[in-house]
Amino acid sequence: MQQDELKTFLLKGDPEFWNHLAAATRVARGFDELFPLSVLRKKAHARKLAPPKQPKEKLRLAILGGYSLYPLHELIEHFCEVENFPVELWLGDYDNYISEIMDENSELYSFAPHVVFMLPAERRCTYTGKLTDPRELQQAEAQRVVDSLLELSRKVNEKTRAEVITANFMLPARHDLGAFRSRTLGSDWSFREWVNLELGLTALAYLHICDWAFLAYRLGGLTARDERAWFESKQPCSPALMVELAREVAHLIGSLKRASKKVLVLDLDNTLWGGVVADDGLEGIELGDTSPRGEAFKAFQKYIASLKQRGVLLAVCSKNDFATAAEPFEKHPDMVLKMEDIICFKANWEPKSENIRAMALELNLGLDSFVFVDDNPAEIEIVRQFVPEVTTILLGPDPSDYVAQLADCRLFEPRSITAEDTGRTSQYRSEAQRKALEASVTDMSSYLESLQMEAVISEFTPVDVPRLSQLINKSNQFNLTTHRRSEAEVIAVMNDTNFVGYSVRLKDRFGDHGLISVVIGQKSGETMKIDTWLMSCRVLKRQVEEEVLNELARLAKARHCTRLEGIYLPTAKNEMVRDFYGRMGFTLTSESETKREFELRVEQFQPIQTKIRITRRAYEPG
Amino acid sequence: MNQAEVIAQLQTIFDTVFLEPVVLTLAISAKDVPEWDSLTNISLMVAVEKAFGVRFRVGEIENARNIGEFADLIIKRKQEP
Repeated sequence: MQQDELKTFLLKGDPEFWNHLAAATRVARGFDELFPLSVLRKKAHARKLAPPKQPKEKLRLAILGGYSLYPLHELIEHFCEVENFPVELWLGDYDNYISEIMDENSELYSFAPHVVFMLPAERRCTYTGKLTDPRELQQAEAQRVVDSLLELSRKVNEKTRAEVITANFMLPARHDLGAFRSRTLGSDWSFREWVNLELGLTALAYLHICDWAFLAYRLGGLTARDERAWFESKQPCSPALMVELAREVAHLIGSLKRASKKVLVLDLDNTLWGGVVADDGLEGIELGDTSPRGEAFKAFQKYIASLKQRGVLLAVCSKNDFATAAEPFEKHPDMVLKMEDIICFKANWEPKSENIRAMALELNLGLDSFVFVDDNPAEIEIVRQFVPEVTTILLGPDPSDYVAQLADCRLFEPRSITAEDTGRTSQYRSEAQRKALEASVTDMSSYLESLQMEAVISEFTPVDVPRLSQLINKSNQFNLTTHRRSEAEVIAVMNDTNFVGYSVRLKDRFGDHGLISVVIGQKSGETMKIDTWLMSCRVLKRQVEEEVLNELARLAKARHCTRLEGIYLPTAKNEMVRDFYGRMGFTLTSESETKREFELRVEQFQPIQTKIRITRRAYEPG
Repeated sequence: MNQAEVIAQLQTIFDTVFLEPVVLTLAISAKDVPEWDSLTNISLMVAVEKAFGVRFRVGEIENARNIGEFADLIIKRKQEP
């Protein structure tokens, strides 16, 4: 019926045709649904029904490979055009891609493509020797397959400066070889898996992988292949997979140009938790491991937290009083997302469209970098109508599908490797070196010595305030009291002589960890109460804890205190430090469900020897 | 399903695959329709198999010399369990 509607638009010569065609294309699944849409598109061109806005220049796309490229090319052309980047195509001949690339005079190069899509022949990705050959021999052949693809890509890129997209290899879906399949690199299964991995991990920035193996896996291995179509017309795969392959190629080409989304705007009630917090109350909302629905919402929050970790900014837009909306973030033990994870928190009674506009101004970001998620169709509609630049996601009726909906939205995919990623990689690498060293040194003490650790213990300084406050508000696990403090409250601590606060920075021969521990003590008579003791878990068991205690004892003495008082306030996250004071030589003095108190007599305390070289900054003499 | 019914349904499929209208007759074949080359045939056959819920065997399609024979082939494959 969508087709009839499209035909009516086409016959009337109504340019609305193109919007409806794009919408129909997005939801079309099978080949038999898509191909007629492509025919209608061509009919529209034949009738000179022009799309409303078209880029001036078409993108030149060359497709080549070890298969017949029809009708794949037509589907690719279709997807690209309805997404508003029409392509001009050049098609290689059947299985002629290697010479088309190697021959400097080939038509490929006179076409001067912007993007080249290569679909290498899987029959060249198979081990030619025996299944029982030594692994080194098999691996060398797999490496040659990878090298030849990398070399072809390099050559194309060097000659044309084009972005290169190559498909990797589908895996077999038949039982052939049985359990032995994964015991040898000589099976197509293992061989291709190895090639796919190696190809993806070594590809340079201009080479993009069209993960054909993944697409086939997602669709189902048996549905992905069609042997008859290969024998009859050299098709690469089944029509069903061809649709997904074409869609993916268009997606990859599109993402070369499109900026990715930056902000995820979240509704609260029935989005982050089940129920309505204003009606059901903090205890009444469904969240956490006590019910299946609660688990589903918690899983959704965990997924959102993982998006944040990869750089997506999180915002909240809720029709609620601020205090009501904020309460679960502050008090609900099963909230994965915390207030400090949210860059912009709008809970009020203004239309959501207006709130998102305000966010865009506050964050100085374009509206087109926003994605809005809500379970309420009316809210989605208002945003669609009044801020059409924002991408909207209407959550389905079942919260157990929420994660899938976001994970399949394709809006937050990391792009090519950036300098920043490279920096991160070097961090990871030094972490890996550290681990390797740990493995090579058998005794802990010589391991710690070999790290050549240096720590700076410093009283709170104005320049550190943002980082101090960030740690105070972020640390959950190694945090004895979880007392949160804003920047202003940290400054208040600095100015109050009853408080002593200091931080620890740590570096070792592999890298700088930065500011990793914060301690606040409060003097009251002859007692130094440890108000805050927290530490980044990255540096656990590096003797930072011991040095912090040495310092606490030193400061207590200097301030004429005779005892240190440690408190443990349990939360959902800080179980790991429940017995921490006990391990550090404190004595348990009182215990209840919500609090454990410890003390340490300062005069009996002997400073603990560690492998860390300590520097003190701006401190009263001890 | 008889031959005429099959051809009537084929007509609707042809209408979605070809740009220029094609009127199906028993005797018509690919060489009578300029757009109907071996490439469009691939798309056509995917649509036919889906619409009729049949699967042809390898090489079978090219043995049918005209629409009449092709309709008979569809009927034959539809009768299979």
